[in-house]
Order: sequence, then structure tokens, then C-alpha cells
Amino acid sequence: MKRFFGMSLALVILVGALMALSGLFYLAAAGLGWGFNVWFGEPGRVDPALVHYGASLANVLTLMMVVLMISGSLLTVAERKWSALLQNRVGANRIKVFGNPLGGIPYLAADALKMLTKEKMEPQAATRMLYELAPVMAFAPVFCLFAIVPVGPAIDLGSIFSGAAGAGQTIALQVAKMDAGLLFLFAISSLSVYGTSLAGWASNNKLALLGGVRASSQMISYEVSLGLSLVGAMMAYKSLQLDEIVVAQGQGVLGIAPAWGLLLQPVGFLIFFTSGFAETKRAPFDLPEGESEIVGYFLEYSGMKFGMFFLAEFLEIAIFAGVITAVFLGGWHPLPIAGATEWLRAHLHPLAFASVGGGIFLAKMIVLMWLQLTIRWLLPRFRYDQIQQLCWKILLPAALVNVFVTGAAILIDPSLQLLAGLGLLTMVVVAVLVGATGKGAAPAAAHAHGGGH
Amino acid sequence: MPYQLDNRPADLREQMYFPEIIRGIGAVTAHFLRNLFFTRDANPDILDRPRGLGKSDNVTIFYPEEKAPYPPGYRGLHRLVPRGDGLPRCVACYMCATACPAQCIYIEAGEYPGDPVEKYPVKFVIDELRCVVCGFCVEACPKDAIRMDTGEHAPPSYERDVQQLHEQALLRGPSVDYAGDPWLKRAAPSIPADKLAAMKAAATPYPADATDEYAQTPGFSVKALAAEARARSERGGR
Repeated sequence: MKRFFGMSLALVILVGALMALSGLFYLAAAGLGWGFNVWFGEPGRVDPALVHYGASLANVLTLMMVVLMISGSLLTVAERKWSALLQNRVGANRIKVFGNPLGGIPYLAADALKMLTKEKMEPQAATRMLYELAPVMAFAPVFCLFAIVPVGPAIDLGSIFSGAAGAGQTIALQVAKMDAGLLFLFAISSLSVYGTSLAGWASNNKLALLGGVRASSQMISYEVSLGLSLVGAMMAYKSLQLDEIVVAQGQGVLGIAPAWGLLLQPVGFLIFFTSGFAETKRAPFDLPEGESEIVGYFLEYSGMKFGMFFLAEFLEIAIFAGVITAVFLGGWHPLPIAGATEWLRAHLHPLAFASVGGGIFLAKMIVLMWLQLTIRWLLPRFRYDQIQQLCWKILLPAALVNVFVTGAAILIDPSLQLLAGLGLLTMVVVAVLVGATGKGAAPAAAHAHGGGH
Repeated sequence: MPYQLDNRPADLREQMYFPEIIRGIGAVTAHFLRNLFFTRDANPDILDRPRGLGKSDNVTIFYPEEKAPYPPGYRGLHRLVPRGDGLPRCVACYMCATACPAQCIYIEAGEYPGDPVEKYPVKFVIDELRCVVCGFCVEACPKDAIRMDTGEHAPPSYERDVQQLHEQALLRGPSVDYAGDPWLKRAAPSIPADKLAAMKAAATPYPADATDEYAQTPGFSVKALAAEARARSERGGR
């Protein structure tokens, strides 16, 4: 019981800390935005571009360097601890700080130290330049994907610096608010395949090459369903920009239900989640690594070069969690009730409202990252033909049908009510399928519990 | 109880795969939440731990800090059994050293001063690195002076010398006295008079048949375990 209350308290504190953290991020963005205006601009005049640059720089530092990097590296520890909890184990607990294992977090430092101090092995016949380039090519595109994820709502700069002339300028926890939006996501995420295939090719190792080939074919296949699965959401929210998609999810459909992507596009969610999973190259889609058959495309890499591939994988998890949160789980809308966001916006100080939104976004991201790790530890690896069948014969047709049905529903009823109804119907069908017991009766148990179930 | 394998062909819902994955997530999440929110039970008898709602499923034993007791009959580190006055029961007869197939026992015999009969091991060295843990020495001993009932295995060490156990390290554990011990019968001069009376009082008859009660880990008994198992199966079994 002590642990139950302690853990509940820890979870509450975690959400609170995320909210406080995003409040600090807002202050940083506003401060740097306003600071740029004061330092570089003409006195007495607000230059929107300078405010924007300052805020974006602050967001790069806070969101990408702090949120993304820390969540990526914490995920390496979380993978151990969470998988242990799933499998009734204890997990990494041998490194102790003052006798306390601290949930395995000190392993972060130990891992980094190990990666950095390991001997650097290098195959003699490797194509040197490509060999050195591959980890960077794998890491960099993944890293910059987080730029388009809108972590918090846009608030007025004047509400933070009260009375300042900054009123009218908005500050948001989003690094780049670009018109291309989701197209940028598809474009850049497909670049990361170069890293893996180059690593496989440049290593001059047959197994690594096999891993690289597998990686490239798998990732290119799943790009297709990945892109098509979001088309429905783009049509429903009439935008490519993630921040506008999040704002559009606040509208109500079917009474008090919000127009979250999960309600409007449950099929799209499933397809996007699956394809995103395949893009992260983790089990059950870890064919490129397949440590029991071929060691993987990073076979010849050691030390921090391997660490880059490793980290890129976990960063992808964090980024897909962010994108799914923004498109399907209502982004920073705190409650799944239509109008709740407006009520909060009206009753809270803008900074407090924005902090709550940012904290909720990060919390949803953590839940999704947890879900990805759970599935990774739940399912065994697919066979190669199964992977391609799943993509081309199931996900791609389903995505196409989803696009067609969504388009028709929006055409018939532009207020999204019909689409939400269809989504609800799909969710009910899925729930029935999940809840229904199998056809064949399980063989009678050796000992009966009071006459059957 | 072994798992009952369910080998029927997959029905339509199972062939759809996704509903099954969602069910699997549910099953795994139940474990996750139970292990996250509830305390691990440190009872080393895993079968005896309470199960169900509000209990963690975790079965890990933190090994160096917590140890599951070895089963009775486990042949652990040797010990030289002391008699009531703290000296070894060993009479340096070389039976164990002769029986040892690995030749890991080295004995140097000596005599107690002022006692023309009683011998004792001046040196008694067991090289645990050579020992094959066969237990022949225990079988061979006519005086029940060497046992492997410590319930410990040879601890790891960085140096070989540490693994050579001398008589000082070997002489430990509860003392044993039998009424038929010759040094008690003829009141050996090496034993002080007051000690002798106490030892005679504490002496037990030599066991006619070897039962597990006399060659086991201290505090452990097969009979008690069997009784526990019987009680468990009467409660409904797990």
C-alpha cells in the first residue's frame, strides 16, 4: 500500500512537473523573443520577425535539446525498467546513488560513459567517408523532425510581459510553424533511410548489407501507408500544419465529444501507428536488426557511432509519440470534452493555461512512448514476407479505403458529424472484436473453478 | 502445473490479428500496473507468496542481498564439525583424504599433549578449487566429523589461495556430541572435567540410520518441507 500511494503521488508529481517545465519553456521563449527584439531591434518598435527568431531559438534549446534529447536517452533506461515490469522482473538496479537505485536512471550516465570510452573498431575495407557519414545521416533527419511538433498552445506575448509593447505577438512551444507541416514530416523521415542503408553498404560486411537492404525496403514500403494514413486527418482538419490540426481538434462533434483524431480517424490512427512503428525499426518490425539472424546494419559500428543509431531509434519513438499526440490524441487539449479548453482558457491566466496544455501534451507523449515500448516487448518479430504482406496487402488498401470513406463522409456532411459517427461505429466494432471470446472452446482445465466460467 | 496447450486452429477474430494485439496489450498492461503500483514480495518461497489483486507479480530475488535457501541435501561448503568443547571431532584418520577422488584434502595428524590416544588434525586443508563436490568425504568419515551441510557454495575470489580452506575456517557450525564418542567414554585428558560433564549431558545416541535430519542445512528439514507441500495441496494447490 505504501508503494501504491507513493507511485500515485509520483505520477501526479510527474504531470505537475511537466506542466511547470512547459511553463518555464514558455517563459524562455517569451524572454528570448522579447530579448531579441530589445537587443537587435530599434527601440520603441516591435519587430515580429525578431520576436519569432528569438522564440524559435529558445524552442530549439528547450524542446529539441531538453525535451527530445532527455526523453530519447531516458527511453533507453525506460526500455529496461518498463520491460522488466511487464515481465515480472526488477530490471536494472545495480548502479546505486547513496544506496538508492533511483529507478535505474543512473544507468543513463553509465551508458553514455561506456559508449564514449569504448574502443573504436573500424573495418579496414569500409568505404571510409560513407561509413563515417551514416550515423549522422541516421541521426540528423530524425532529430529535426521534432521541429514541427506543437507542444503547447499559442499565447499572447503581452500576457507574459504585461504592459509591454509585445501585445499581438504570439508565443508557442513549436520550433517551426511551416506551411508544409506534415509534408515536411514525410519528406524528412524518409531521409533517415539513407543512414541505415549507407551504414549497411559502407561497412563492407554481408550481414550489415543485408540489414541495410532490409531496412531500406521496409522503410520505403511503409512510407506509402504512413503518408496515406494521415490524408484523412488532413482532409478532416483542412490543414497540413500540426498546430492548426491541434486547434481544430477542440471543436465539438456529436454533443460533448471533441473532434480528436482518434474519434474521427480510428482506422487512420491504427495504420499510422503501425507504419510509424515500422519506421522506427523496432520489434515486431526489427527486421533490419534481427539480432538472432543478422546482427543488423550497424554491425560494424562501435562506441558512440553505434550510440547514434541507438539514440536515433529512441528519438524516433519520442517523435512519433509527439506526432500521434498532435494529430490523433488532441495535442495540448487537456480534457477529452468539447469546450473544456475554452473554459480553461477563459478561467486561467494565459501562461497557466499554456503550461497546463504543454504539460498534458508531454504526458500524452509519455503514454504513447510507453505504448510503443509495450508493443515492442509484446510481439515477436515478423517474418520478412509477413512484413511486406502487412504493408502492401492490408495497410495500404485499408489506408486507401480510409481516404475514400473519409472524403465521402466530409463531402456529405462538412460538419464532421457523419465522420465522427463512422469513427464511433469503428471503435465499437473494434471493441466488440476485442471483447468477444474465441470460437473454439478452450480445452477443459485440469481443475474446475466451480463449474466453468 | 504445466501449461495446457490450446492447439485449436485460429478463428476468424484471431486471424484478424489486430484485436488479439489489443488484448495482448491489455494482458501485459495488467502486469505492468500491478508491478508498478504494488510492492515486491521478498518471501523466498515463491510458491507461498500471496497472489491476486493488490499484489505484485514480481518473482525476482535480489541475489547477493537475498538468498533463496538451497534445497535439503544440497552439498555446500565443507565444515569440520566441532564437539562440545570447540575442538574438531576429526581424529585425523585420513579416511576422507583417501576416499577423495580429486585428492583435495590434505591432513597432518598430531596428538593432544598429555593424551597418548587421541589424535587431531594439526593441518586440515581442503582445496575448494579441486573439490568435485561428490560428498565421498562425508560418507567416508567414521566420526561424523566432516559435513557439507552449510548451505553455502564456494564464494568467488580473485585469488586462488582464498579457496584453500584451512582448519580454522573449516571448524564452524553447531557442535555435535554422541554418547558413543570414545573421548567421552574414557574421559580424554584433553577435555577439562567441567566441559566433560556438559558434553556428556548434551550427547545424543549415534543415529542407527542416516536420515536427512542429520546431514542437512541447519534449520532445514525435508520432513517440514513435505508437510508444507502437503498443507499447500490441501489448500487447493497452485
